[in-house]
Amino acid sequence: MNPILIERISKSYKGKKGQRIQALSELTLEVKPGEILGVLGPNGAGKSTTIKILTGQIPPDSGTVEILGAMAGSMQARSAFGYLPENPAFYDFLTPREYLHLVGAAFAMSVDRIKSESDRVLALLDLQTDSDRPLRGFSKGMVQRLGLAQALLHDPDLFIWDEPMSGLDPMGRALVKGLMLELKRRGKTIFFSTHVTADVEAVCDRVAVIVGGRLQALNDVQEILADGIEGYQVQILNPSAELAARFSASEDNGVMTELYVSREALPGFLDLASRGGEDIRLIEPRRRNLEQFFLDIVSRNQR
Amino acid sequence: MSKFAVLIQVNLKTILRDRILHAILGAVVVGLLLVPAISSFSMRQVQELAISLALSGISFFLLVMAILLGSSSIWRDVEQRHTTSVLTLPLSRTTYVLAKFAAIAIFLLGTGILLGICSIPLISVAAASYPSDQPILWGNLVVALCGDIAKSMLIAAMALLLSSISTSFYLPFFGSVVLYLCGSASQEVYEYVTGEFVRAMHPLVIVIIKSVYCLLPNLAAFNYKVQAVYALPIPFEQIAWSVGYGTLYVAMILVLAVLTFNRRVLG
Ligand SMILES: Nc1ncnc2c1ncn2[C@@H]1O[C@H](COP(=O)(O)OP(=O)(O)O)[C@@H](O)[C@H]1O
Ligand SMILES: [Mg+2]
Repeated sequence: MNPILIERISKSYKGKKGQRIQALSELTLEVKPGEILGVLGPNGAGKSTTIKILTGQIPPDSGTVEILGAMAGSMQARSAFGYLPENPAFYDFLTPREYLHLVGAAFAMSVDRIKSESDRVLALLDLQTDSDRPLRGFSKGMVQRLGLAQALLHDPDLFIWDEPMSGLDPMGRALVKGLMLELKRRGKTIFFSTHVTADVEAVCDRVAVIVGGRLQALNDVQEILADGIEGYQVQILNPSAELAARFSASEDNGVMTELYVSREALPGFLDLASRGGEDIRLIEPRRRNLEQFFLDIVSRNQR
Repeated sequence: MSKFAVLIQVNLKTILRDRILHAILGAVVVGLLLVPAISSFSMRQVQELAISLALSGISFFLLVMAILLGSSSIWRDVEQRHTTSVLTLPLSRTTYVLAKFAAIAIFLLGTGILLGICSIPLISVAAASYPSDQPILWGNLVVALCGDIAKSMLIAAMALLLSSISTSFYLPFFGSVVLYLCGSASQEVYEYVTGEFVRAMHPLVIVIIKSVYCLLPNLAAFNYKVQAVYALPIPFEQIAWSVGYGTLYVAMILVLAVLTFNRRVLG
């Protein structure tokens, strides 16, 4: 059974002067068990709207959503995932431990298990020293980490996180990325939103690009990176005159020559090089990165 | 512990950790401590005045707390986006609303009892300083205190209902103040229109007034102050009526609050 099945959901909001803002149009998406799927999109693309529908906070105007076979928003669906809201806000007079107690009780965990799991997630997110201090004095990053801790508490198989890296310092970001990979290793499924391509590159199996409420691309991240190869950087020791004439050198320090070989020219280059017995020291792919891929899609849709 | 119990606990912590509450509670305690001194100014009715002042003070405190707590509850959670994190947990909105009310009710009951106990020595001191012809019927005082607690719970339920549909402080706050004022006067208005001398009024007007009376809370049903102050007998039927009426009215309001909040679109 698919952890998340989104079928043709649309959603519009009431805007100013009775106008309607179309936040999502006919979005269809399927999240497979055990994968990390990132939803990438610029601000206002409809990422949070999608996640609010998945978590049952708002109903879609049309279309359906199933969470592990249960209707989105149902008690069964809500029991199945660990959710991190965008810029979470928790009761600020409570301490992290007290808040986790509420979360554990909501998931019908026993008092003993709440205690041990609280210790586990507080340690995981490096919050032990602050665990008995009211949230009132917490920084944004600490609140974000508590948000992740509470999403991990009942150890579900599915996670739905809205901008999990937002508000975190570089160490926090690295921590969360490591956490995501560790969860994937344990067979968990993660659906998360972000507007940062580097996050997608670091952890995602697949990426869904949403712009203007529409799904613009759904790709395997490794494929994008492979497809993105535009050419190769080649280093040759004392190339022959023929080779140097056909491929312009980008750098030449007298001993080592660096050439740029386009993707199409690679077979010809290799042929020539092997016939000439060239001393090739390095061939490195030059990629168009994910960011370029993303920016291309966004600019195509803005035209 | 059940979800409901834990939510009540969390809500009680919110109430008890509020600094404003500490200030108000401090002021009331100081006020109660002044009761013996103030009542001694009344040359003849020291005991009666002491009872009356203590009960009124507690009643006023409970009323203020009921309005403040009830009208700052649900809409504020929505506005501060606490509902985003809490109501996406497997907790039903029904549990959420009922736990909000239960926490406020427990608080009102607890502080009501506490202040009631505090006023026992104060009333005793005042009464001893100028013995009255009447005995102090402590049982009557307990009934009067329970009436005030019940009244405050009813007001809190109404404020909670208004806060479940509101997006700001104004509607639940002023709404519950107005309902309190109307509820306090409704019995008199009802007696007036059912009295002899309004025969001239159009019958339709009387029907309208009577039906509004039925919808508005009748807060006079919880008033036992006169019996407490003057040591008058309280018939059992009257207490039974108060309990039945209060329970039914609060239950109806909570059902309405649950229904409206379940329909409310958040986010
Ligand atoms: N409650 C709301 N009322 C009106 N418009 C909204 C509301 N929430 C979101 N929107 C609009 O819907 C669009 C998508 O928003 P959102 O899903 O939050 O985007 P993202 O999370 O991708 O930044 C934006 O144009 C936003 O302004
Ligand atoms: Mg967003």
